[in-house]
Amino acid sequence: MFYTHLLLASHGTPGACAAEVAAFNLCNPDATLHHLIVVPDFWKGMLGDDWLNNAITQIQYGKYVECELEKEIQANVNRVSAEAKARKLAYSYEFLLGKPAECLLKVANHSRFDLVVIGSPRPKNKEGLKSRMHCETLLRGLSIPLLIIPYPDEV
Amino acid sequence: MVYTKKHPALLIIGIFMVALGALVDFGLMDGVISYLAIKKHLAEITTLPYIFGSVAIVVGLWHLFGEHKEGHLDYYLSTVAGVVFILLIAMVVRWFAAPFIAVLSKSMGPVMGAKYLHEVFGLNYIVLGILTGIIIVNFFKVPSWAENGVRLSRLGLKTGVVLLGTLYSLAELQQLGALSIVMVGFFVLGSVGLVLWMGARRNIPNSMGGVLSAGMGVCGVSATVAAAPVVQAKSVEIAYTIGTILLWGVGSMFLFPIIGNILNLGHVQFGAWAGTGILNSAQVAGAALAYQPDGIETLKVAEIFNITRVLILPIIVVWLAVWYVKREESAPGVNIAQVAFQKFPVFVVGFLLMFALSSTGIFSPPNHYKGKYFDNDIPAEKLLTEQALTTLKNEQQKVQRAARQAALARLIENKKLMSIEDDNTLRGLINAKVLSKEANAVLKKAHKAVRHTAEKIKKFRQFIVWLFAFGLTGLGMQITFASIKQAGGQPLVIGGVVGTIKAVLSLIVVVLFVHETI
Repeated sequence: MFYTHLLLASHGTPGACAAEVAAFNLCNPDATLHHLIVVPDFWKGMLGDDWLNNAITQIQYGKYVECELEKEIQANVNRVSAEAKARKLAYSYEFLLGKPAECLLKVANHSRFDLVVIGSPRPKNKEGLKSRMHCETLLRGLSIPLLIIPYPDEV
Repeated sequence: MVYTKKHPALLIIGIFMVALGALVDFGLMDGVISYLAIKKHLAEITTLPYIFGSVAIVVGLWHLFGEHKEGHLDYYLSTVAGVVFILLIAMVVRWFAAPFIAVLSKSMGPVMGAKYLHEVFGLNYIVLGILTGIIIVNFFKVPSWAENGVRLSRLGLKTGVVLLGTLYSLAELQQLGALSIVMVGFFVLGSVGLVLWMGARRNIPNSMGGVLSAGMGVCGVSATVAAAPVVQAKSVEIAYTIGTILLWGVGSMFLFPIIGNILNLGHVQFGAWAGTGILNSAQVAGAALAYQPDGIETLKVAEIFNITRVLILPIIVVWLAVWYVKREESAPGVNIAQVAFQKFPVFVVGFLLMFALSSTGIFSPPNHYKGKYFDNDIPAEKLLTEQALTTLKNEQQKVQRAARQAALARLIENKKLMSIEDDNTLRGLINAKVLSKEANAVLKKAHKAVRHTAEKIKKFRQFIVWLFAFGLTGLGMQITFASIKQAGGQPLVIGGVVGTIKAVLSLIVVVLFVHETI
């Protein structure tokens, strides 16, 4: 079964990369692939309770973190868009700051998609940032089919 | 951008504060005050709510009905809501929540020697204020109308530190400064070195080793924020490090006072231990005030350690920058002077300035010093009673040091303190907690009989404590579980090992070598 309008949520982790592969394999030749990258909102709290630094240092830090996150997003976009180009698919992307499930719902319910593709949560023994997709929120809020791709190790 | 929110919250808080002040003022809450045993706060409860409540009502009316235009006035007035919000929490916690917990805890009876549960766990208004802040941000979110003001909590803490500068004597600053330089110097360099060494053994990237060593070694989150751009830390490394440090910091804030109580550490000992062993600087102040909520001796010691740490920060950042450039070919060159200048904590200059001004006597009100050491006309009721003298005599053998023995003997002989030196020596004995609670109460009475602190100075000290309470409650609102949850990866392993070693070793050093002299 192939789809014409796919929404892919991925951010470069192994689980998300598996979702990317699956999304490409499910695309019609003339499909459009919309790529959503969520910057988790825990980053807003990543200045923590710093109070000793002056404003210059805090601004430098803020800009630096922003640049780092932007670089990571760009690397993701480059990877997925290159694959889309190779497959001659129409590719678009957007990134949002917030909770993964809420951002995905916002995008999914805003435009017309046939399918949403996401990766599985990382297994507990794997290292990584803790910002999981809240599946219950997603399942309750989505009105289109959702495909969750198994984590690569578990395939 | 217009920052002011058209919201009735500030007005409502203002009305609530004024009503609270009036209720207490007119005696309608006498039952509650008596039940909670908060008569000592009466002066505060009948003044602060009126002052801040009035400000909140006026600014709240402007928030709600005023016309807001972009500009400085809009921004500064928008912060009032958050400031008053934090103050309200601090007031409720200090005057009602903390005393209520104390009443509950006392009803359960002592749990450790003569100490009650809330004393052992340090559950006072400071810790409860921080906890309330953490609960608000994580379970309810900081209201949007309060966000700008909550950021000002940092200013409150810095102002507190600057004003604290007026309360040190030259001898204290010399003594504590030397102690902190030795301890902080050893443990900062030791833990920075240990993290880098462990990092190399565990093959972590240089950027991760650099940012983690600054955070674990110097002053926690603040050092991470300062060092991350310099060592080009990856986002995931920053998240792991800050999560680990916050986890440790919040845990330490509760754990350190409990251990301090179990070991019966004196104020100087605890301040030195917290100032060295707790990774994050905000929690150093929190733990110090948790350990001694009704005095500032522990805070004074801990803050000297904090200041020493923050003074070392630019040096460590420069060192890490050079270290990183040497190891990473892709690293951009580093301008040492610029890095050192940018990271220099300017507020420390304010602290030193206030100390310098204070030592000229400019802040002492007339008749502040009312020493009665040589006064033989002290009223008889101020002299120690036979019962008090018996209490001291029964515990004389507990005192080991010759100077303390001699000072105690002179006190018993004369029924009053006879010199400043004896007074200082016996205050050290009180802080060392060598004697029982009853004997220490006798010593405190003897101190009060000859030494009088002016009302203005007392209020000034209270003001400083309020600044810290305000700052720490506001900082609590910036500690999110989402960021703490990021603790993980190699930083959690290395941080756990180094943090534990640092806390245990510094405790051993403090117990063995640090004595009460403040």
